[in-house]
Amino acid sequence: MYMEKDYILCKIICIALGYRTSQVKLTTFCFVQFFDRRKDTEYCAYVKRFIEGRFFSMLMISTISLNALCMVLQTDYDIKNYLFLVFEVVEVLFVSVYCFEFCIKLYVDPLGYWKNGYNLLDVVIIIILSVPFHVRKLFGRHCPYLNIGEGIQSLRILKLIPYSRGIKTLITALGQTICTVASVMILLFLLMFIFAILGFSLFGSSDGGDLNNWGNLAVAFFTLFSLTTVDGWTDLQKDLDERGFGLSRAFTIFFILLGSFVFLSMFVGVMIFHTEDSIKKFKKELENERHVALLQEKQNILKKQQEEVSRLMQKGTNSEYKTFSELVKGFKKTLRHSDPMVLEDFCTTLPFIDIYLSTLDNQDNTISKLQELYYEMVNVLNQMLDDIPTKKRSFSSEKSVEF
Amino acid sequence: MSAELPEVPENFEPTAVARADAVRSRLIDTFSLIDHLRGLSQAVPRHNLREFLDPARQRKLMLGDHHQLVRFSIRPAYHRIPFAQRQQCRLRVCCNPWAPISLWAGWVLRKRIFINFVNCLIFLNTIFLMIEIELVNTTDVRMLPIMMALEVGSWFILFVFILEILLFWLYNFFLFWKSAWNLFDFFVTTLSLLPEIVVLIGVTGESVWLQLLRICRVLRSLKLFARFRQIRVIILALVRALKTMTFLLVLLLIFFYIFALAGIYFFESYSRSDIQDLEYQMYFMNMPNSLVTVFILFTLDHWYALLQDAWRVPALSKAFSSLYVILWLLLGSIIFRNIIVAMMVTNFQAIRNELSEEATHSEMQHKASIFKRQIIKRRLNQKDGEKAKIRSSSGHIAPQTSHHSASLLTGEMSQTENLTKTSVPKDFTAPQEYLLVSDSLVDWETHVHQNLHGLMEMDQDEQVVWPRDSLFRYFELLEKLQYNIEERKQLQEFAVKALINLKDN
Repeated sequence: MYMEKDYILCKIICIALGYRTSQVKLTTFCFVQFFDRRKDTEYCAYVKRFIEGRFFSMLMISTISLNALCMVLQTDYDIKNYLFLVFEVVEVLFVSVYCFEFCIKLYVDPLGYWKNGYNLLDVVIIIILSVPFHVRKLFGRHCPYLNIGEGIQSLRILKLIPYSRGIKTLITALGQTICTVASVMILLFLLMFIFAILGFSLFGSSDGGDLNNWGNLAVAFFTLFSLTTVDGWTDLQKDLDERGFGLSRAFTIFFILLGSFVFLSMFVGVMIFHTEDSIKKFKKELENERHVALLQEKQNILKKQQEEVSRLMQKGTNSEYKTFSELVKGFKKTLRHSDPMVLEDFCTTLPFIDIYLSTLDNQDNTISKLQELYYEMVNVLNQMLDDIPTKKRSFSSEKSVEF
Repeated sequence: MSAELPEVPENFEPTAVARADAVRSRLIDTFSLIDHLRGLSQAVPRHNLREFLDPARQRKLMLGDHHQLVRFSIRPAYHRIPFAQRQQCRLRVCCNPWAPISLWAGWVLRKRIFINFVNCLIFLNTIFLMIEIELVNTTDVRMLPIMMALEVGSWFILFVFILEILLFWLYNFFLFWKSAWNLFDFFVTTLSLLPEIVVLIGVTGESVWLQLLRICRVLRSLKLFARFRQIRVIILALVRALKTMTFLLVLLLIFFYIFALAGIYFFESYSRSDIQDLEYQMYFMNMPNSLVTVFILFTLDHWYALLQDAWRVPALSKAFSSLYVILWLLLGSIIFRNIIVAMMVTNFQAIRNELSEEATHSEMQHKASIFKRQIIKRRLNQKDGEKAKIRSSSGHIAPQTSHHSASLLTGEMSQTENLTKTSVPKDFTAPQEYLLVSDSLVDWETHVHQNLHGLMEMDQDEQVVWPRDSLFRYFELLEKLQYNIEERKQLQEFAVKALINLKDN
């Protein structure tokens, strides 16, 4: 299945590339053939329903949770030894389920699959799944990076996120704040860079300097990060003091004030601001949606009612039911004055009737005033029309008198 | 509304007007006309109780249905009937051969004296506990009577609490479990009872758990929180704020899990190394330790020391370990913690807005009721001095096209679909009509517009009793009125067009 705009886009690209007409036709024909699977749309729809159904999501959620549990159990050496075979089998099962999910989702929508962020996450996790195997193959059994490969398997639990609506909405709401976070991080990095170079040249370059903490740029960065998070900074300061850098205190304190107090607090403030914004926007969107849905529902009910009534009118045995009032004439006869009906609607309460009638009276007044104004206007215009020829005559007579 | 109403021409098939359609649909709904027209009029109530009690009519009714069954239709009430009211009508209470204990229990529980008595006992309990803790280790003989008195007092208070719970169970067993405050009361009381029961069963020895359970007596003081409304409001606000953050906490837990598991593998060589004097070697040994370490890093405590210690092992890749730690610090400690702070702040702001919204809501309702009275009074005034008023006040009412007034009515009529409830204020004695003065500065249309929203939002329920045929007639007339107004509007537009065309001639 393809979209109309994709088709047109393909055509435009062909023309832009300077194809001749016959080539354009050929390309669009191939495009249609490739994406227009009119043969298996039914099966495709069936698979799509299966994916969006409850059974599939339950299956995936249970698989991922089981996988997470198995990974936790595998960290313990004794259990791993004891249940080695079980873990191997279960691992193959999990990998097969993930690949099945990938293939089935790709089958339903080959092009649209890549537009969804969570599907890209799935692809990345499948690639990660294959990392330990390939590392083991390429670099042998005793590669130091093997445990890194096994460590990042823990990311598998992130697959759980698309199946939980709450977390998805939370991430969408917070996703707006990513830009701010990134910019603040870059600012902090710049600040640390400046101070790192300063610190290196002040404390780490000379021979008597504190080479341990300020020896090269990387270590200087770490030291500064430690100062930013104000963890163990007194020890670092003590190191500098022992080497005799008396003025280093000013440096440290200044950086702590700037980095920790100012920047991190600014971080909090910016996050509060954006979280509030995005949550408000999100709530407003939800409310709008609900409002629109409600309105739509009301319209549907109204339309259904009207259709029903008109159908009943046409269905009447003779064509004597020309209007609605004739239709319900029989019903009206059964109504008696002594029957009470208790209603709580606004439109049948006495205040409403009073207010409505008084508003109608006001409206009548206004309209009658309007009508008077119209009459006045017409009168004035008429007078003007009558006055113009007489004015002209008098003016010309005046002119002749002057001469 | 009398039974004799003026006749309106019957065969009048107009064009579609939205407001008229709304009125008609309201009519159809109220009288269940569709069911009637489809022939399912069995479901529609056609007789009422008065007919049934009249013996002549009753015979006719009974003969009409050969099963001699009559369907009753009970109008559901829109407001909740509290349990206390309902209890008085129950058979179990009214026709009980013995005294209705549940009624008495409810009465006792609601009595102000009883509530104050229990509150005082809770206070006393706290004081007793404080004194007891001070005296528990003295061997002074003179203190013994005091300790005895304190113990007896404590037991007495516990029995009163149990009695209170029993009273509530007598009143309504199932309602007890639905309130969280009652559950808390029950939990605290059973915790106090538990050590004694355990001793009775036969578990001997001063095990640590028994000591702890005895100390749980102090939790009884927390019962005080349930009693005072202000504290309840604060606690409820806190709980609500936490509830909205559940998904954030779940996400945080997921990240904890990811980093804990990854940490075990990343620091494997560190955990297994043979180098002596590694301070933090146990930190990434297995899953529980790893989780605790991840939490320690989350609180930014000694992270650099941990990292430097890990670097002492040559087999550990420095790049990956520092990347791990820095990433977790940035993500968890800096970003996540600030997200939590931000969400708490927004939640509290939202709660504060809601509370202020309630205040403005009641204010708006007050304004709406004043507005109602004003309009009605105005109409009565206008009926008396109509002509004079027009001439005097023609100055400051700007010429408005009928379009505006029609849109106003659209607003009103479209709200008739909602079953909003309004009310006539119970007393028509107007306390302050000073707003009438400002009335004359504002024309009627803006005035109505300003107060229309408040009118819609009023949610006091009032029931009006209509005779059925009058109601039907009312709806019909309302519908025809809409068509007439529409026609007048169109005529107005024609007049305007004619006026404009006149100029060209």
